[in-house]
Amino acid sequence: MDDKLKELYKSVILEHDRSPFNYNKNESAEHIIQAYNEICGDRFDIFFDVKNGVISNICFHGYGCAISKASTSILIKKIKGQPIDDAKKIVDLFLNNIIVNNSNEIKDEEFTAFSAAREFPARLKCATLAWDEMNKFLTVNGK
Amino acid sequence: MFDPQQIRTHFPIFSHRPELIYLDNAATTQKPISVIRAISDFYEKENTNVHRGIYEMAASTSQKYEEVRQKTADFIGAAKKEEIVFTSGTTASINLVAQSFLIPRLETGDEVVISMMEHHVNLIPWQQACKLKGAKLVVAPINKAGELDLKIFKSLLSERTKLVAVTHVSNTLGTINPIGEILEMAHKRDIPVLVDGAQSAAHFDIDVEAWDVDFFVFSGHKMYGPTGVGILYGKEEHFTKMLPVHFGGNAIREVRFEETVFALPPRCFEPGTPNIAGVIGFGQAIDFVSSFDKKGVKYHLQRLTELATEKLQKVKGVKIVGTAKNKSPVISFTLGNVHPHDVATFLGAENIAVRAGHHCTQPLMDFYKIPGTSRISFAIYNTMEEVERMAIVIKEIQRFFNGR
Repeated sequence: MDDKLKELYKSVILEHDRSPFNYNKNESAEHIIQAYNEICGDRFDIFFDVKNGVISNICFHGYGCAISKASTSILIKKIKGQPIDDAKKIVDLFLNNIIVNNSNEIKDEEFTAFSAAREFPARLKCATLAWDEMNKFLTVNGK
Repeated sequence: MFDPQQIRTHFPIFSHRPELIYLDNAATTQKPISVIRAISDFYEKENTNVHRGIYEMAASTSQKYEEVRQKTADFIGAAKKEEIVFTSGTTASINLVAQSFLIPRLETGDEVVISMMEHHVNLIPWQQACKLKGAKLVVAPINKAGELDLKIFKSLLSERTKLVAVTHVSNTLGTINPIGEILEMAHKRDIPVLVDGAQSAAHFDIDVEAWDVDFFVFSGHKMYGPTGVGILYGKEEHFTKMLPVHFGGNAIREVRFEETVFALPPRCFEPGTPNIAGVIGFGQAIDFVSSFDKKGVKYHLQRLTELATEKLQKVKGVKIVGTAKNKSPVISFTLGNVHPHDVATFLGAENIAVRAGHHCTQPLMDFYKIPGTSRISFAIYNTMEEVERMAIVIKEIQRFFNGR
């Protein structure tokens, strides 16, 4: 198999695709964010509450490719229980350092797995879909 | 003798990309050198506008442009070249019929009948026209195989039906619809019929006069021609009663500040400078398609489709979506829980080009309760070896995602 592909479909991505983190619906959540890619039809709903400025009870549900599902799953895992401002830092770290700059300083495999998406421009949006939507929320609702 | 290897030599893309296995032909076909040359020759040697210049070069361009109109009429069996309007594609053709033919005739309570397998373009213009006029869009159902139920179809037609719009061949399922029977049913009730030929024009026998179809629409780029050229065939009796909806130069007889007298069809539907080079290239595409024995082409495409179907069915988890008895060389499939885009990315890494997603047929995907499929579609230059290779890679993908 192609090496670039192996990079993109690292085992950490496949693991999150098969057993996504907090994968369920919560229609009564305080906030429901929809991450939708009209080009491919991938759609994830992210459910969470914000209590005293902290993200809680976060879960997600929907449909998408292995990349978009794993990246949403990792987003949920990373910002769960985080204050909004810290969550924003995590999202910035992912979007700026993994997707844009491919920084070597980050060693967290759950982040770095997605740097390979840069080799597949058609799939880059899959890696950032949920992160972009969450970024919008955090920007509006942060300080 | 039909020889795909020989045919490939007509297509420069395969010498530039010898490793390419192009199985996305329902999206757009590759272009033969004759089409490419015709376009570059036009710009290099004889670029002028049409219908306006008096000088020889301009007159010659106008003549060539009109010759392609005649060629197109002959290609689809139209009685007159005046029944051919050049548009920018199937999309523009359908929109023109919706705005210029349907909307002025549509009243509250009227109905337009389409099928469940329509491409978004053969759905949205009718849906919007119905919304505007308080009419109803009626959708003829299909069975699980992806075939229309003609009994139900017939029962949906009534004196309220103002138009039937169906696809000749489904771009997602490959189903070939029984156009003859649909036309007969509709015409018994004097209902005009539009047939979307985007997927059929390249490889099927088209005879609009024999079919007695009211409107037939297709695109140049899905039949080895350039993008940006489409055809609207319409019966003369309809065209002469339709008013233009897009206005501009070239489409008029006489203009005053108070009033305009429009040119006769088809000119009145082609305002502005047309896609001249594209139309000339499209003329070459017609020559290219016409140079092959249709039976030979049909047999070749059928063999590719049968082999691909057989090979795919052997892969664990593959489910073919669209299993009509009468099928064109289009195969949509799902692979277990593997998302179509993951399938397409893996195939792409092996230089195999396929389409993945909802194929502009979201309501059809809803019917099958799937978000999308991977789709392979063949053209005359595809080979049995390419099918074998594709099947091997699909098997590898299956193993990668589910095999461990």
